[in-house]
Amino acid sequence: MARFIGRRLLLSLITIWLLVTIVFFITYVLPNDVGRTILGPFAPQETVDALNQRLGTDRPIIVQYLDTLTRVVTLNFGDSYVNGKPVLPQLFDAMVRSAKLAGLALLLTIPIAIAAGVYAARRRDRRADRGIVLLGVTSSSIPEFVTGTVLVVVVGVQLKLLPVIATTPPSASIPTQIAALLMPATAMAIVYFGYIARMTRAGTIEVLQSDYTRTAAMKGLTPNQVMRKHVLRNALIPTVAVIAVQVGYLFGGIIAVEKIFTYNGMGQTMLFAAQNKDLPMLTAGVILVGIVYMLATLAADMTMAWMNPRIRLDSER
Amino acid sequence: MDYDKLDQVRRTAVPLQLDTIEAFAAGRLSRREFIQRASILGLGATSIGLVLAACSSTTSSPSASAAGGGGTSAAPSAAASAAASAAASAATGGRIRVAIQRPVSVDPVAMQDLGGYGIVSQSMEFLCTLTPKDLVTIGPGLALTWTPNADGSVWTFNLRQNVKWHDGTPFTADDVVATMERLVAAGNSGLKGVLPAGGAKATDPNTVTMTLASPNGNFPYLVSVFNAQTVITPKAYAAGTTLDKVPAGTGAWKLTPGSYNTQTGASFDRNPDWWGGTTPLDGIDFTFFDATGPMVTAYQGQQVDAIVQFDVLSGKSLIDDPNFNLIAAPAALHRQIWMRTDKGQFADKRVRQALAYTFDRPALIQQLFQGKAQLGNDHVIWEGYPYFDSSVPQRTQDIAKAKSLLTAAGVTNLTATLHAGQLLEIPDLATLLKSQAAQAGINLNVAVESLQTYYGAQWCPAQPADPPCSGAAELGIVDYGHRGTPDVYLNAALKSKGIWNSSQYNSPDFDAAFSSFQKAVGVDAQKAACNKIETILLEDTPIGLPYFYNYLAGSSKTFSGFYASGLGQAFFSATSKVA
Repeated sequence: MARFIGRRLLLSLITIWLLVTIVFFITYVLPNDVGRTILGPFAPQETVDALNQRLGTDRPIIVQYLDTLTRVVTLNFGDSYVNGKPVLPQLFDAMVRSAKLAGLALLLTIPIAIAAGVYAARRRDRRADRGIVLLGVTSSSIPEFVTGTVLVVVVGVQLKLLPVIATTPPSASIPTQIAALLMPATAMAIVYFGYIARMTRAGTIEVLQSDYTRTAAMKGLTPNQVMRKHVLRNALIPTVAVIAVQVGYLFGGIIAVEKIFTYNGMGQTMLFAAQNKDLPMLTAGVILVGIVYMLATLAADMTMAWMNPRIRLDSER
Repeated sequence: MDYDKLDQVRRTAVPLQLDTIEAFAAGRLSRREFIQRASILGLGATSIGLVLAACSSTTSSPSASAAGGGGTSAAPSAAASAAASAAASAATGGRIRVAIQRPVSVDPVAMQDLGGYGIVSQSMEFLCTLTPKDLVTIGPGLALTWTPNADGSVWTFNLRQNVKWHDGTPFTADDVVATMERLVAAGNSGLKGVLPAGGAKATDPNTVTMTLASPNGNFPYLVSVFNAQTVITPKAYAAGTTLDKVPAGTGAWKLTPGSYNTQTGASFDRNPDWWGGTTPLDGIDFTFFDATGPMVTAYQGQQVDAIVQFDVLSGKSLIDDPNFNLIAAPAALHRQIWMRTDKGQFADKRVRQALAYTFDRPALIQQLFQGKAQLGNDHVIWEGYPYFDSSVPQRTQDIAKAKSLLTAAGVTNLTATLHAGQLLEIPDLATLLKSQAAQAGINLNVAVESLQTYYGAQWCPAQPADPPCSGAAELGIVDYGHRGTPDVYLNAALKSKGIWNSSQYNSPDFDAAFSSFQKAVGVDAQKAACNKIETILLEDTPIGLPYFYNYLAGSSKTFSGFYASGLGQAFFSATSKVA
């Protein structure tokens, strides 16, 4: 296990270097310079030049790239080009907000989707199964920003049941925060329900047809015991992998939902940084999201290895 | 005509003020134009009222809506008066929740965005502020009165006394001088070339004299809300300091410590020591948004009570909402369709005129703004300016004339790319212009791109740097915000080698007319200069300007007394909950 984790960490470092390099060069080739983007189109050119000089964005590209790498290695991402404040505290705040939203969305999705998938698998080809599959396909086909908009209009504006702005003051109580996050979390849960439910269904069907499941049933175990002890831990392995990928996406990719609900998570923060050529913020943000992805997949791999010891043994051979 | 009343004012008026009084008395200025002009020149509310009464056919009391400093009376600001009257008829206490564009920067000197203007102006104040009357009339802010010398090259500002900064220290003339020096050093676009370094001097703790580079009859506007960076900051406020790092100000609202968060919003609490008295509300809670659509949704979901600015397309439901107090103030907000005058297909002015003759302006106004806009006449002198000359004929759609102009220019099957940025109604404007131009045989291909790249790629590329904007596209649309005077539009966008002159317009006649306008300090001289400017621009048509559109803001009818400028600043000192 230690060798497994060590190898993954080494790969992670290479991944981070690749991320930083790609982000740097993509930002560099975009038109408009940093000073002009920050100060706007009406600022005098002298002011723009002075700002570029202060930020160091007028230096040769290779110098800027090496400077960026140095900052990453020393974990000193510096200050935002846009607001002049240290980058990491701002990103951690955004990360916390994204974590809350992601956590609530997963809390809503996972139990329901897994239960639905197992339920459908046990009633394969019957009406309940077909209904759940259809529901899953439909829900995952509708983009979350469409669902979000419908929820805002119906639940937020017309019925006024929940707030339309997901952002709450820092001092807000937990129930208030949950109420504010319920709509965006539901919008995402509806989409992810489809993926997770269908993956669970497929995995459960495969395991239900396996020899060891039949053996367990013939040994005299009740159906519930068979499900709990033999089926679920094998059927959910692919589902765990899907969830891991979704976790990473939830942290950095739900820009549309964040925009609709005026919620500044990592997605909005990095979009703003990209639009304003705020390279320190963008670089640090991409690295953080990359770390989230890597941790999520590492956790998924370890979970799968725990669920199925053969996976662990194969990797250590 | 009551000459006694008139003489009371004439005796104490300086030459520029006298000129304005005489112009009004002789009927060369409308009542509204007189009030606006007199306000700029520092004539007091009492004096304005006396002149109005003197020239009125019936005896009437001085106008309660006139605003201005000057004379021998120290008039309270309109905001404070409104606060007092509002407090008498409405509940006190409570907070208002406001939707505002997310600020990019709250550095008073360097800020360039409407969100920053709106936030900073809650705590910090201007020498000359906006009155609730309209989007043009300025009144006393931190300056109680201001007076020009004979030719308007030196302006003396008498400061309001007993004003304190939020930390309790006294506000003095040294703060004003330091602010002006900081702005001049930073190259503030409004003061550049107008106020030289060292031009501001404190003659005593309550008086500042500003000696200009050349006479300028509109100078008070350049130290007003319409030059958003000229909020007065403490003497010790170093360049680069931001409001959230060092909260400061003399205004009615104090930034709540720790409340400013770029991601979420900011809160302000009442300043109990404000010179204007006790505000009816306890505080303001701002939520930051990146688009107007979510602002409107937040209002409909009852999570905000007021919106500082929105557009017709996103806010249609608000315009129709009977419970929404809509502010639809005529403003100088506009779009310019620039056409390269130095090269390309539009170098011949007949071709430019031809395109302008295809504009169906009333249709554009109706389709894009539901009528909430005024006609533009291909020049930048908005009809709300006191020196606007309405005698210049209004250009209307004339397809036959457009065709004949093209024929005379020897142009057939004109095809051009119309560049536009992705902003509010501009892409729709481009599409409508395309269909209108097609009637005259002009084929426009519309190319819309993100604002992130548009300004630098099409409107004013950094290279070639000399002359500025010489790399601009042949044809495109650019947006301009509201200004209390047209100086910025004329200087930057149209003057030869102007920093925003994307049409590369180079007309000695126009430059001379603009120079006359800048130097003009008498009403008649300003109107005469504007007549020339309007006529020249209409003839040369370096830009098409089909409309000036209204500034839209508003609040729930559960609040009253909220008003806004056309530059994102919102005023809540007189706002109260309706009892």
